[in-house]
This record gives sequence, C-alpha cells and structure tokens, in this order.
Amino acid sequence: MKRTRFFLKKLAWALFTIAFVVILNFFLFRVLPGDPARQGIRDPRMTKQSIEAVRQRFGLDKPVINCFSSLNPLKTGNCFINPFETQFFIYAANLFQGDFGISFHYNRPVVDILMTRLWNTVLLIGAGQILAIILGVSVGVVAAWKARTSLDYGALSLSLLAWSLPTFWLGMIFLFWGSNNGFPIGGKATPGMSSAPLSEQIVDILQHMVLPTLTYTIIFMGEYMLIMRSSLLDVLSEDFILTAKAKGLNTFQILKDHALKNAMLPLVTVIALNLGFTMAGAIQIETVFSWPGLGQAIYEGVVRRDFPILQGAFLMIAISVIVANLLAELGYSMLDPRVQSD
Amino acid sequence: MPLSSPLETIPIKRTPFQNFWRIFTQNRMGLVGLVALIAIILVAVFASALAPYDPYSSAGINSSDIYQPPSPEHPFGTDDAGKDELSLFVYGARVSLVVGFFASFISLAIGGSIGISAGFFGGRTETVLMRFNDIMLVIPDLALMVVIIALTKPSLWNIILVIGLLGWTFTSRIVRSQTLAVKSKKYVLRARAIGAGNRHIIYNHILPLVLPLLLVNAVLVISAAILNESALSFLGLGDPTLISWGQMLNYAFARGAMSAGAWWALVVPGFGIVWVVLALTLLGQGLEQVFNPRTESHHLVETKREERPVPAVLPGPASSAPQPLLTVTNLSIEYTLSGGSRALAVDHVSFTLQKGEMLGLVGESGCGKTTLMLGLLRLLPAAGKVVSGEVDFDGHDLIALSEEELRDVRWKGIAIIFQGAMNALNPVRTVGDQLVEAIRQHDPGKPTAALEARVSELLDLVGISAERKGDYPHQYSGGMRQRAMIAMALACDPQIVIADEPTTALDVMIQAQILELLSSLREKLGLSIILVTHDLGVVAEMCDSVLVMYGGVMAEYAPVDRVYNAPQHPYTRELLKAFPDLADPGKKLSSIPGYPPRLDDLPAGCRFAPRCSVALERCSRDLPGITDLGEEHIVRCHLVEPQ
Amino acid sequence: MSEPLLEVVSLKKSFSAEKPSLFFGGRERLVRAIDGIDFTLERGEVLALVGESGCGKSTLALTLMGLEKPTAGSIRFDGQEVTQLKPAALKDYRRHIQMVFQDPYEALNPTQSIEEIVAEPLLVHGLARNKHERRMLVLRALEDSGLKPAEIYLDRYPHQLSGGQRQRVVIAGALVLEPRLLLADEPVSMLDVSIRAEIINLLAELRQSRQISVVFITHDLGTVGYFADRIAVMYLGRIVEIGSTQEVLTGAQHPYTRALLSVIPVPNPRLRRQRIVLQGETPNPIDIPSGCRFHPRCPVAVEACRVTDPPFIEVTPRHRAACLLAKVK
Repeated sequence: MKRTRFFLKKLAWALFTIAFVVILNFFLFRVLPGDPARQGIRDPRMTKQSIEAVRQRFGLDKPVINCFSSLNPLKTGNCFINPFETQFFIYAANLFQGDFGISFHYNRPVVDILMTRLWNTVLLIGAGQILAIILGVSVGVVAAWKARTSLDYGALSLSLLAWSLPTFWLGMIFLFWGSNNGFPIGGKATPGMSSAPLSEQIVDILQHMVLPTLTYTIIFMGEYMLIMRSSLLDVLSEDFILTAKAKGLNTFQILKDHALKNAMLPLVTVIALNLGFTMAGAIQIETVFSWPGLGQAIYEGVVRRDFPILQGAFLMIAISVIVANLLAELGYSMLDPRVQSD
Repeated sequence: MPLSSPLETIPIKRTPFQNFWRIFTQNRMGLVGLVALIAIILVAVFASALAPYDPYSSAGINSSDIYQPPSPEHPFGTDDAGKDELSLFVYGARVSLVVGFFASFISLAIGGSIGISAGFFGGRTETVLMRFNDIMLVIPDLALMVVIIALTKPSLWNIILVIGLLGWTFTSRIVRSQTLAVKSKKYVLRARAIGAGNRHIIYNHILPLVLPLLLVNAVLVISAAILNESALSFLGLGDPTLISWGQMLNYAFARGAMSAGAWWALVVPGFGIVWVVLALTLLGQGLEQVFNPRTESHHLVETKREERPVPAVLPGPASSAPQPLLTVTNLSIEYTLSGGSRALAVDHVSFTLQKGEMLGLVGESGCGKTTLMLGLLRLLPAAGKVVSGEVDFDGHDLIALSEEELRDVRWKGIAIIFQGAMNALNPVRTVGDQLVEAIRQHDPGKPTAALEARVSELLDLVGISAERKGDYPHQYSGGMRQRAMIAMALACDPQIVIADEPTTALDVMIQAQILELLSSLREKLGLSIILVTHDLGVVAEMCDSVLVMYGGVMAEYAPVDRVYNAPQHPYTRELLKAFPDLADPGKKLSSIPGYPPRLDDLPAGCRFAPRCSVALERCSRDLPGITDLGEEHIVRCHLVEPQ
Repeated sequence: MSEPLLEVVSLKKSFSAEKPSLFFGGRERLVRAIDGIDFTLERGEVLALVGESGCGKSTLALTLMGLEKPTAGSIRFDGQEVTQLKPAALKDYRRHIQMVFQDPYEALNPTQSIEEIVAEPLLVHGLARNKHERRMLVLRALEDSGLKPAEIYLDRYPHQLSGGQRQRVVIAGALVLEPRLLLADEPVSMLDVSIRAEIINLLAELRQSRQISVVFITHDLGTVGYFADRIAVMYLGRIVEIGSTQEVLTGAQHPYTRALLSVIPVPNPRLRRQRIVLQGETPNPIDIPSGCRFHPRCPVAVEACRVTDPPFIEVTPRHRAACLLAKVK
C-alpha cells in the first residue's frame, strides 16, 4: 500500500513536470523573437493554403491566453474570455491529440517524422548506455578492489581523460579515422538496403552503429567507472563488510552478496541525474554521424529554421527524459528498502 | 612530573588554509591540474603576444593557403579560410575560457543562493525551491539551450547568459545538503543560543563551511560550461563574429576538413578543449581529496603478518589441568601511519581465556583494545600488521593459519560483535537473511526448513519476535539491532564471543537488558566472553578477570577481585578513583591530568609516565617488563618490579 | 529568602509529527515531548536532570533557552516571564542563560580560531568597545576554564586541541557573557573517563566562585552523585521524581528511579545487587500510555495505575515522587 502511494506521488509529479515543460515550450516559441507561427507565415516556401492552415491551427487571431491578449506582460487584456478560445489551449489540445504541427521543410506532420527518429535515438542511446554501464561497472569494481595499485591508477587516468573529452569531438575523430578505414561515413543504413533481406539490413545497421556507439560508450564509461569506484570504496569501508568478513565469507562472496548492491545505488542515482546529459550526447553524436534520431532532428530544425520540428523534437526529448527519470526513481526505490519509509 | 602541553609540540601555526595547502600539495593530480589550468589561462591572456598572425584579418591570405598541413610558417597548419591554426587556437582560448568562467559565475551565484536559502530557511521556501530545482534538473540542458539560442540571437553575451541561467541545478542541490548538514551542527545551535541572528549565522557559520564544497563543484560547473559552449558553437549556434574552439570545429566539420584530410583542423581545437577540461577535472580531484577525503583502503585486504612457518599441531598439554580455550602470547600489532612512520598499537600483550570465563578488556580511547581483538581474527585494516605473537585456539595458532583455514574458525569458533550495531548490519538485506547467511557459511548443506527454524530459535533466544526476521535493520530500534547482532553471533554455536563495547550509545536500561542477556547466555550455553569496554562498573559486575590496557600496553591483568581491591598499576588506581561509584555518591571524582597518548606520539619508556604522579626517572626511559605477582596477577610497572 | 532564579510551571511542548507537503495536508499527530514540567532552581544550585532517550530532556533544554517556544506553561527567570519575549528582550535574556554541549567535536566551528569562537558572543551582543577589550575578556574566560596560559590558545584551531581542551573552550564560550545559569547537556559523556572529573570539577568550581546555577542533563546518575544538590528524574516528558541528591539516591520512591539506580554498574565486584531490569523500551511520545505513563513497564504497578495519572506525592518537603505507591516520611 505504501508502495502504491509512493508510485502515485512520483507519477503525479512527473505529470506536473511534463505540464510545466509543455507550458514552457509554448511560451518559448511564442515569446522569443523567432516566433514560428509568424515566421512560418513569412516563409516563402509556404503556399497560401498552408499559411491559412497555420493561421487556423495556431489560432493567430485569437488571444494568447486569459488576461493577456498578446505576449507583452505589461499589456493586460480581458480575463473573462473563454479559456478554450486561447492560443495556448489550442496548442495544448493539439498536442494532446498528437498533433505537433507540420514541418516546414518536409511538409509532413512532425509527429510522423519524429516517431521513427525517437526509436533510432533509443536504439543508439540504449546500446551505448548498456555498454557503458557494463564496462564502467566492471572496471570500477576492479579498480576499487585493487585500489592504489598501478592497475587502479591506470584505470583512473583513462577514465578522467574519457570524461574530459567533448562528445562531438571524439565522434569527429572516430569518423575521420573510420572513413579512411572502411567504416560508413554516417547515417543509419546504406542507401538502397531497404530492399535487401532482413539479416543483411541488420548487419548494415550494426556497421553504421559501431562508431557512434563507441563514442557514446567511451564518454559515459569514464564517468560510471569513477562513480562505481568511489561508491564501492565507500561501501567496502563500512562496518557491515567487516562483519561479513568476520563471519567467514571470502572476498568474492562479500563483493557479490554485500557490496555490489549497496554500491550500485549511487550509480542508479547518477544515471537518473545524467539523463539530460545523455540527451546532450545524443544531439552531438547524431549530428556528427548523421544518425537519424531526435538529436539530429534538433540540429536540422536549427539549421533549416524548421521550427515545428525543433519544437516537437525538444518536447519529445524532454518528455522522454522525464519518463526515464521516473522509471529510474522507481527502480531505485525497489533496490533500496530505506526509501519508502520516510 | 611536568605535564607536556600538547600545543608546544605543534610549533607551526596551522590555519585552515595552511592545512588545506599541505594536503592539497600531497596529491599530484591536483597540482598537475592547477598548473595546466594556469598555463592555458596565461595562453589566453597573452594571446596577442603568442599568435604569429591576426586571425581576425584576412590580410596576406590566398587560396593556396587553405588546409595546409603543419609547416614552419604554420606550426598547426591552416584552416578552411587559409588562416593560421595556431593563432586561431590562442585567440579561441579567450572566448572559450571567457564563456566558461562568466557563465559558471552566474550558475554558481544562482545555485549557491538557492541552495543556502532552501537549506537554511526550510519549510515552504525549501519545498518550493527544491521542486523548481527538480524540474530544471530533469529538463535536458543542451536541448533547451539550443532551442533558446536558435530562437534568439547567437551573441556572446546571450550564450553566456543562457549557459549560466541553466547550469545551476547540481550546484543548488549540493549547497542545500551541505547547508542542512551544517545547520544541524552544534555550533550553529550555540550561535542561536547566544542570540545570533540569521545573517550572522549564515555569514559566519554556513558560508565558510559551504564554500569548500562550492569550490569543488565550481570546477565541474566550469567544465560543463566550456563543454556546453563548444557543443553549441559546433552546432552552429556560436557567435559568428568570434573565434572559439567549438566554432573552429564547426567550420572544420561543415567545410570539409575531413574529406580534405585536414586532421590538424580537428585535432588542434579539440586538444584545447580537452586540455582545459582535463586540467579542471584533475584540479577537482585534488580538491576533493582535501575536502572530501576518501579512505582508499577497505576491509577486503588480508591482514598482513610476519612470515612464519606453519607449526604442526601444537604440542599437547603438559599437565592434566584444564587447558585454556584461548591463549594469547606476546601479541604485537604495528600500524603504518599516514606519514609513513610505524608505531606499535599493541605491544606484547598476553592473556588466557578459560571455558565459561568472562574477561573484561578495559581501557580508554587509543589504548588498542579494539585493535587487539581485530588482530586475534586477523581483521585488521590495510595499515595494520601482526608483527609477533601467537594466538592459540583449539590447538592451532590463528596467526599462522592460512586465510582459508582461518575463515573456518571465524564465527564458528570465535564470533565478534562490533561496536555500534547501527552499521554492522547490511541496510539493504533483511535481518533474517543475514542470519541465514551466517549459518549457511559454516553448514552449507543445511536444509531450508532447518535454517528457518534455527533463525527463529536464535531470535527467540535474544528476545526478538520471530515475525521480525523479514524486516530491514533500519526498522529495528537501537536496542533491537544490538540483540540481532548477538543472535547472529550465536548462529554457529561459537565457543568464544568477543563483544566490543556492546552498549555504547545505548540507554542505561537497554544496556542493562543487553548485559543481562549476555550473562544468561553465558550460563545457558557455556560461552566464554571477552567484553571490551571503558566502563569499570560493568566489568566489576560481570567479569571474572580484567585486562587493563593503556597506550597499547598491558598495564595490569588479574582476577576481578584483585584489580578492584588491590590494584598495583598507578593507572588502574587512578582510573578507579576517577570512576563514579553509586554506592558512595559523595566520593569526589579525581581525574588524571593530560590525555591518553596518540599513536603518532607515543612516549618513550612507560606509556603512562607523562601522566603518572609517582613516576621514577627510569619510567620515562625504559618500558617496564612483565612482573608476575603470583595468584594470576600480572603488572607492567617499574614500581612493582623486584629490586 | 529571595525568589528562585528559575521557576518552571506546567511547561508543555508538543511537535506535530508530519512534515509540511506541497499538495496534501498532513494529519496532525502530536509528539508530546514535554508534558507538564514543574521545578524551581535557586541561585548557585546544581540540579541534575536525569533521563533516557525520549524523556524530553533535550527539548526541555532548548525550551529553557528560548530556542523553542513552549506550547503551554510558564518559565520565570529572575522573576520575569520569558516565554513570550519579543526578539530584543529575548536576546537580552540569552546573556543570562548559556548552554554547554555534549559533543566537543561538533560544538566548535572548525574554520574559526579559539579566539573567534570565544569572542563571538561578545560580538553578537556588542559588549566590548574595541578589539583589545574583547581580547581581554576572552583571555579571562579561557583562564577561568582552566586553559592556561590562555595566550597560546588564541590563534589555535579546534582540530589542534584534545577532547577535554575543546570542552573547556565550549565552557569558556559560555562563560564570557557572565551568565547566571548554565545548561550543561551531557557535557562529559563523550570524554574519556579519566578526563570527565576535570570538567565536572571545573563546573563545581565555577558554581562556587561565580554563584552560577547549573542544570546538568545526563543519563548517567553516577557522575552527579557528589556534584549535584538536587536530582530530577524524567520519563516520557514529565519529572517523575525530584529531591535532594541524598534523598533520591538512597531513598528513591518512584519505581523508575529505583530501577535506574539498581542497574547502573558499580565498580565493586563484591557488591552483587538485586537488579530491576525493565523490559521493553521507552514508548514513543506520540503514544503516551493512559493513567500513569510508566505503568506498562512498572514492576509494581497496581490496577489503579492504569487509570489514574498520579500527582506528586510529597515524601518530604523537598522530595516529591509522582507515584501512587510513594510513601510519605
């Protein structure tokens, strides 16, 4: 019962955060000078019909929100208008129905374009994070166990170096080296592969994934290794480890049954806190390797001034991070029995 | 005997800053980082002097200069516009560093203020601020920065502002938890108690304690700001009128450096970023060592001991008198201190333990009693080493056994209850689970049903309801946790139980309960117990014999009657005089001037001599030998030695 | 005879058990930390306040200091009511009553020098006219606390001092305002046995020379035997017995006091006493038992104890016990 209450509280908070982001998103794109709606209208690529469609969709003739007819906070308007007739409500209602607008560049609904992108990003980040966690944890455990030996110092130095590398730069270096050594120069698949048998397609995608995933893994592995090492060292100097040793357990048993679970807790917290950083990495890597994910969509949106894509991609990224954060918090609460009883 | 003032032995005035510098410079990483950082800052400051060309002008450049590899005229090569990479590099340093430092200044100011306000004022303020913090933490930073700058103008100040306004979320969390920690310290309570107001407390107490952590965090914030700026510039959102390293990489990427094979255009600016961030990271590691020192040793090391041949099973008893269960002979344990010097924490201690006997091991802080007990089972930390002596138990010398053989003896033969059961149990495993683990370790084949039954039996033995075996340690009260530890210690029917300060931090009545429990268990199960404590009253009431330790040395060892009624060692006498006696409430308590010796400052000669009121001259020169006064009464003191 | 220095009447302090939340209102559950305390303290008198964890002694100390506002009752210091003071008057009150803390390692700010620590109260109250005068007052306080020669301590830092020395600094910091009352909260329990007497003797001496009253909070009855004039025993927010040291130690009437006295270890191996070991633990102050709050654990409780909250019975004019079975002398 306590657990369901805990879960519901966390879920409610996640929803509140999403609402905040939606509101933020709306105001960002209206307040800042590059207002997409008005920009869109001036965009020479738009046909007369699409301009009218944009006007309708965004409700540009309607007041922005109750009490403010325009975005100038000093100029108040009528508070007693129908809230459903405001631009904000129209925007929110559209969002709720899955309508993220129409891309200026592709002339297709944003949500269609971004959904495939979303999965591509998840694929790349997923592979990268999993590898980073496995490698980071393993090296971290060994480094902590053999603390102060040359093995430890070596691992420590490499991890500090990995952590200090700019993500996009490492990607560029790999791309540069890779393109001269037979690796594909970007994208997710070689053009024309969609007609090939599935197994070949998969191999092709994997080939394209190698370098970006490698970049991702190296950057995050450094941090995870450092966290794992320090957290394990902390745990290994706790009294209950001495008790375990006094009970007659050997090193392997102690690590497995006592130390690791406790040491993983800070790591889970860090992974959760890092989710924003994870996305930052995705944006950079996808741009360098032209990987068709949400990150690249952001880049495209910037470069082409395709604001619907930019806005939609940002919203999707933010919501993914919020959801992932919620999952991580719930996961943590299942690992640490002390959490729910506060 | 003049009392040496402790302060006269520390001639240097050690202000906190000097302390800081001393510890900081011990860490090579921190120093390297600091030097590297200063170097690059100097490069940026003196850019105009260092750059061979002016990267902002295109004077003297023609098309053949594009993407030239490194050469004497252009040590770092040229870029896509024919400009000298070296010049670009040193000027680029300026922008990258300026953005990094200015933006992080904004972030630190915001984060620090929010953190301190939330932590100090608490209540609604804290809730609102922290919830806002949580939201901003979750929103992905770079994505938001990209959006904002894309919608506004990519100018230098814009970028600084955006990075600064979004980079405070980690800082505020750290500052808040530190503020909370400081707020709960007694010196803040004292400040309130003398009537200080909020401003005084924040300025004099909170800030000085928060600043070190803020400094450590600042390093991270600056790194993040620099990385963010380069990422933003790389994505095309940098200030187009300025050169930064990220901007250089943007041009390299967008203008075909890779297809032209111009690796220098990629490596040079990247190298700059890595240099700064790595320097900051190393500096951060160094600072962390000072402010958040972490022990780099842990319990999993094997206790070091002097090499010795494993004896065959020890010769049998010469007489038919009951042999002691445990015989410790001349055990000495050495510690290696942080400066590298070594000191004997336990110096030639010997004692025996009969079956069913309770021995009281008495002493104050630093006397070595815990070290002695850990040494028996070779559970010492990495700095400890057994240098001599024997521990004869059940026909084997525990010091000579291999680690594997010793594991069989641990818990099954001799179990130990550690000081402060609060942390002696694993917080993320149930109590029942940990009891089962102890049993299974020495009886692997035991069927599950029998295990469960035994666990219930053990809990019952110590007065805990068997239903609670599925609970976690934090769900038990302090007294219950201690009982659970006792239950666990009895799990394998050991012959000896070592109880190290089992009742410290417990209330008087709970202490009585625990002691009563130990007493009854001893009777019921025929246990032998070594009770480590500083409480002379407990020893008098419960123990059969007493070993008094001081400064790592055995001062007096005798049956309890003799120790209390005819103490021979001056320390024992003084200690008894200093201990309150409810049966004689009017007794004026005396104290012993000075304080117990520290391991890094052991006196030559008798360890107690500096505080002893009847010390002779030779006491401060020679460590006294062991004098046997008969009737099992052993003393180490020059005053009782036969002439 | 002049009026007492401190007069506490029906003092109560409760806390609510739930934290404030942003959205949902919490249910009110009260922790009755202090539930009706009465006692007086004369000038130059030492009162030992004895009790285990959960008895409310720390809350009592904080309330007497004005750091917590009582829920009910009154505290009169030197004839003046101090529970409803305005901030300026409260600050003035603080000059007269100072605290000595339990943990000498936590009671001193590691970034402040000894001089700064001891001078802090002077700065807060603006008591010295210049730096020189301040220094003189600091030196005097240090010397009165037994730290001689005081000069060498001025620019030292806490980490350079031993536990006993730090505790003396804490006392010096309390003395510098020349208070009339010292609240010592377990001042020696974290010190080595051989050093405790030093601090206790220092307090005894200060009481003599300066006529400072001391409220000595402790869980260890043994240490106060010769130092305290009177002893008050606390249980679950109330004083259950109060009397002169002699009367309480040798003629205790409350079963709780008797139990405590019987289990405190005595360093005499020949004295095998009859120990009254109470079962269970002190209940949570949220759920105070009905009737006499001690009855669930009382070895001699009778039927009436379950329903009647016992008033104080006067055993002698100065010795009172809140037990239905207490015998009047």
